[in-house]
Amino acid sequence: MVNRLELENKIIPYKMLLEAITTTHELIERILPEQGIPSLKYGLKYLTDALQDQIDKAGEGLPVIGHHFSFQTEYLYAFDCVPICIEAVSYLMAALLPEGSEPYYDLITHWGHPFHTCSSQKGTMGMTLDGLFQFDAIVTPTAPCDNTYASYPYFQYKEGIPLITPDLPFLKEEKSYDYYAKQIQLSLNDLGKIIKQEPNYEKLKNHIEIENRIYKTQMDIFELKKAIPCPVENMFNAMAAAASIFLSGRPEKEYFYDDMLALAQKRYKNKEHHGGEERIRSIWPYMIIFFDLAISEWLDRELGMSILFDIFNYNFADPIDTSNLETMFYGMAKKSMEAPMVKQSAEFYYPFIDECVRLAKEFSADCFIFTSHIGCKQFGSIPQILREALRDEVGIPMLLIDVDVGDARFASDKVIREKIKIFAQTLL
Amino acid sequence: MSLQNDKFLNISDTISNSYLETTQKKVMGYYCTYIPEELFHAAKLFPYRIRSTGNKDTDLADIYMVRFTCSYVRSTLHLALQGVYDFLDGFVVCNSCDHSRRMFELFDLKVFNRESFTKKVPRFYLALPHIITEEGFGWYKKEVEEFKEELEKSYNINEITNRDLIDSINVYNENRRLLREIHNLRILDNPKISGSEALQISMANSSVPKEIANKELERILQILKDSEGIKTSNKRILLVGSIVDNINFTQLVESSGAIIVSDFLCFGTRNFQDDVKITSENNPLEDITKRLYYRMSCPRMMDDHERRLEFLKNEIKRANIDGVLLQRINNCDLHGCDNMLYEHELKDLDIPVFNIDRESFQADTTRLQTRIEAFLEMIT
Repeated sequence: MVNRLELENKIIPYKMLLEAITTTHELIERILPEQGIPSLKYGLKYLTDALQDQIDKAGEGLPVIGHHFSFQTEYLYAFDCVPICIEAVSYLMAALLPEGSEPYYDLITHWGHPFHTCSSQKGTMGMTLDGLFQFDAIVTPTAPCDNTYASYPYFQYKEGIPLITPDLPFLKEEKSYDYYAKQIQLSLNDLGKIIKQEPNYEKLKNHIEIENRIYKTQMDIFELKKAIPCPVENMFNAMAAAASIFLSGRPEKEYFYDDMLALAQKRYKNKEHHGGEERIRSIWPYMIIFFDLAISEWLDRELGMSILFDIFNYNFADPIDTSNLETMFYGMAKKSMEAPMVKQSAEFYYPFIDECVRLAKEFSADCFIFTSHIGCKQFGSIPQILREALRDEVGIPMLLIDVDVGDARFASDKVIREKIKIFAQTLL
Repeated sequence: MSLQNDKFLNISDTISNSYLETTQKKVMGYYCTYIPEELFHAAKLFPYRIRSTGNKDTDLADIYMVRFTCSYVRSTLHLALQGVYDFLDGFVVCNSCDHSRRMFELFDLKVFNRESFTKKVPRFYLALPHIITEEGFGWYKKEVEEFKEELEKSYNINEITNRDLIDSINVYNENRRLLREIHNLRILDNPKISGSEALQISMANSSVPKEIANKELERILQILKDSEGIKTSNKRILLVGSIVDNINFTQLVESSGAIIVSDFLCFGTRNFQDDVKITSENNPLEDITKRLYYRMSCPRMMDDHERRLEFLKNEIKRANIDGVLLQRINNCDLHGCDNMLYEHELKDLDIPVFNIDRESFQADTTRLQTRIEAFLEMIT
């Protein structure tokens, strides 16, 4: 008979994360002053609750479902299951563990995974190869990039895990939303057959409605970021990215955003900046550095540089109409196609350039910082075009940094900070 | 007679050729073989597969593409920015991979928008699903139908008729039959043709009108049938992976003690194994799309690895292969990961296999040669 511990051990990295978060949170609670990095404080508190809950559910024997970040976590709450986001685990480990996910990148690279493929998947692949994850099934859309099409078959062909691949088409238009809505529904049916559960659409609806409510708070916070100084600290971006996965469709996400909105409103009223003085307002149109979360705080306090938002914090989809199944699946498809990276990948890059120019103007940005991540080939042809557009249409510069956002060995925190520091000097 | 310095094979050495220079037809450039070439032919267009043969620089393209991108695509963009592809009268891109699909925007903004370039070049984009399902086929069928209408509109074609399409299918099926016949002479115990020559034929074939190509392939086939074949004790290699559009690489392999008797490349077997099966005179476009969609895939189709592996296993037997050389152009995630799986799967079957990365143009030659020679020596 399988005991609870064995079942919990299907998701060992979650236990590692929980331990890391608990320790970090304890340090924050005990050492930092009351006003110190509140987003980290709130974020880690709610993450702890969510991780513990998932470990408990794994212990109860619920099926463990891996999923791509662009197959929204809340969609999997149509089932009683433990959803594990392949990409988020790699990068939360990179953020919180002393060695990050590097041992697991090395494991899978040694097995033959190309060095230039995305570390967000590499980490969890390595953990699975090492027996730390035992997935019952994995779901990934055919998006947003080559890394997905290339890396996920490993789970199927090497590990023998059933892989469900809803096909997400190119170009965001009506026919695409209809097509993808059917793909999501078919995929949930297929998943149900594998884990021997009927999808519970009423339950799914409840979780989607939580997300719908959060949308308004997200937009309120986003709007407040237009203020000078920005009333939202840089660390919020990282915590919001984690919340968008680990807390997705859960009440803890609502609490997190409510706490952050209250804080931002207070700072806005008092014209307060988390770092003391805001000197530079930056937009990171792509990702922040996950292996060095401390950079957020360093930018706030040392350089007075606000990160107004990164890619996980400006791509918002409209709330989903849950009035019937047809509208709900249509809305789910649309939301998926508006997800960070999928949105930019499922269309030509002209709208992305236009959006960046618009955001730069609306949010009074002084500069852009583009992290050119080694895995992201779909963005590999964009930086120069974007740089030209920002220069010509807004008159602001863009710094391009070659990185692996989840692996410090490609470009270290020291190298990255030095580049930003020199760039910042040209702006002041 | 031999194929050395053959006029048809020589076409593969350069981007332009005499047919391109003298044709009255509009030239339609494309990257990936997942596009409906028969449709272009039926529209009286001249389909031309974009390559970077002979080019050694990517400087101009490096301005617009980061260094983590594919050197083959960067190389083609470099040539295009130099004006080498100014002969194009149309340009079609499909979402085959992240590197080539962004050529739509870069050609649009930077190549066709150059001050010195005044020609209006229609651009098209085809969205192909990444899995093989009935629903996916329905999607792609619609996509190709809409594409046909766009072509008619853009080139003022009254109508591309079913008769036109059937005639073009016949020309293309004949072309693929001839390539398969040549391939059958390549896998013989004494191969009638080297891997480098086979690659040259394939590249030339994609650079001239198909009627011309068919005549040339008939001629070459006769030469090969009459030849004695290559008597060699070199190791028989199956070459697999990323696009190879330059014989420098195949020559390097073949000069290291191997003969490439078969391949699994898009300038190779992957492009001529499957014919269009005409199921009805009423809907040849659907038949064209069926072939395209259900054909032997490349790793962009994420749910079809098993079928690709099965092909390799069959080809290893059929062509009496001594070893499999897996290669990828650096930064190619698709072939890199597919090769990763093949490497383990073939090793499990005790098939000698070697997995390397390379640049599109010839670079790092000595290191590559040493590694390939070492692999060949290990094959017993």
